[in-house]
Amino acid sequence: MTLKELVKKVFFLEILQGMALTFKMMCSRAVTIQYPKQRRRIYAGFRGRHALIRDPKTQKEKCIACMRCANICPSQCISIAKKKRPEDGKPYLAQYDIEALRCIYCAYCVEVCPVCALVLTEEYEYSAYTKEDIYFTKERLLENWDDFAAKQKEETYFNKFWRPDGLDHSKMVKGKREQLPVSTRPVIAQPESVPESPQGNEKKETD
Amino acid sequence: MNELLSAFGLQQSVDFLLQLLIIIVKIAVVVSITMLHVAYATYFERKVIGHMQVRVGPMRVGPHGLLQPIADGVKLFFKEDIIPANADRAVFQIAPFVAVFATLSSLAVIPFFDLFYIANINVGVLYLFAMSSLAAYSLIMSGWGSNSKYAFLGGLRSTAQVVSYEIAMAFSLVSIMIMAGSMNLIEIVQAQQQYWYGMYLVPQFVAYIIFLIAMFAETNRTPFDLPEAESELVAGYFVEYSGMRFALFFLGEYIGMIVMASMAVVCFWGGWMAPPILIELIPPLAMVPGIVWFILKVYFHIFLFYWVRATVPRYRYDKLMSLGWKILIPVALANVVVTAFVKYIF
Repeated sequence: MTLKELVKKVFFLEILQGMALTFKMMCSRAVTIQYPKQRRRIYAGFRGRHALIRDPKTQKEKCIACMRCANICPSQCISIAKKKRPEDGKPYLAQYDIEALRCIYCAYCVEVCPVCALVLTEEYEYSAYTKEDIYFTKERLLENWDDFAAKQKEETYFNKFWRPDGLDHSKMVKGKREQLPVSTRPVIAQPESVPESPQGNEKKETD
Repeated sequence: MNELLSAFGLQQSVDFLLQLLIIIVKIAVVVSITMLHVAYATYFERKVIGHMQVRVGPMRVGPHGLLQPIADGVKLFFKEDIIPANADRAVFQIAPFVAVFATLSSLAVIPFFDLFYIANINVGVLYLFAMSSLAAYSLIMSGWGSNSKYAFLGGLRSTAQVVSYEIAMAFSLVSIMIMAGSMNLIEIVQAQQQYWYGMYLVPQFVAYIIFLIAMFAETNRTPFDLPEAESELVAGYFVEYSGMRFALFFLGEYIGMIVMASMAVVCFWGGWMAPPILIELIPPLAMVPGIVWFILKVYFHIFLFYWVRATVPRYRYDKLMSLGWKILIPVALANVVVTAFVKYIF
């Protein structure tokens, strides 16, 4: 043992250093966010409650039942039922369920969707007393979108995962490449009274 | 009958009753103030450790969580007192009371300030040792009585810990007794006024460090909290306790901290007296009552308990033993010998 080590041990130098650090930390500001009173700032790309975008034109979901989200989902929490329309034999979406309790919020489904129909919203306060309340059917997913859209301050919304940074956008499917920010203002809420603004939004969509 | 009364003497019996009354009032004052301190010691522990970990600690009950200890107390008081089916009922039920009794009775001899003490006995230091050793029995009893392996391991650990640290602690105070030439705590405090800095902390620095380390071990505080090591033994010796009895153990632990802090203040920091140099430099400080100095010094030591808890991780068990037996006891013994020589020569 060298003299230096001995001095270190006898005078608890390392412990004193640690105590100096803890004392310094005591004088610094606490990082706690006192949740119900204060809220964390949500940044773009936050992955919260699931929602299906309500298409302003059709008032229905944009999903084309391609099954890509169900296939890529690591926790297998998306179940989709596809049926053929009797009149023309085209497939349509009969059932779209997300079991949110099993979801790991990786947003692969949002990334993979070719028509940008799905989104993980910035909503995170949706705890419930029963499992059924967090089992999202198609209708509930659309309601989730309405909920979320109503809270948005901006007129349009674009999810970061629809066209993630760092990927070659030119190789993406057309639906993703050409996706524009979607309107967050409901169209059917004021059908006659204010025809200007919803139509304007609609036009923006179809462009 | 009349003869008997006159034999005792009416005057004497009235005097005796008056003295008894004064002592009872003193006890009530000391115990109630200590209880209040215990309640808010838990609060400040949570606050201090919280801020050291860059958190805020309790904030919800009352402004800045100030009513938290009262809420905790009420909750614990109304909780069910569960006694395990296979426990040794008598031992299990007595153990928490032993803990509180032993630590509370140590308060009897501590001189809080000039002429305020419950009892002035000439072997004050020895009495404090006896009482703090008695507190270890409560740990062993609860460990044995719970009939649970975790509690039992906690009890065994506390036995071994007390055996190895009490000796070092006693030796560190033996050098103080040699310096003061007395075991009376009041005389120890007064003897410290002979120095211009007014405390034994400087000449007996080694003894103070040993006392500090032993103090942490004695009160089962963090670097040496092996009897209740949460990560290994769930809660150690009081795993099986709930409600009021659990609260009594807590009470015992915190009163123990206050007693040990007061002991350090009395023996090393000059008790209720301010350093003479300070009074000479700033004469108005002489007006400050003794209790203020005493309480400031005690608060510093209690803060030290929290500060160390927030900084140092728990010791490994064999390291704890080797530190006690191979380092602290020899160093304390050497310190006693050196002190005795120096005292004899000068």
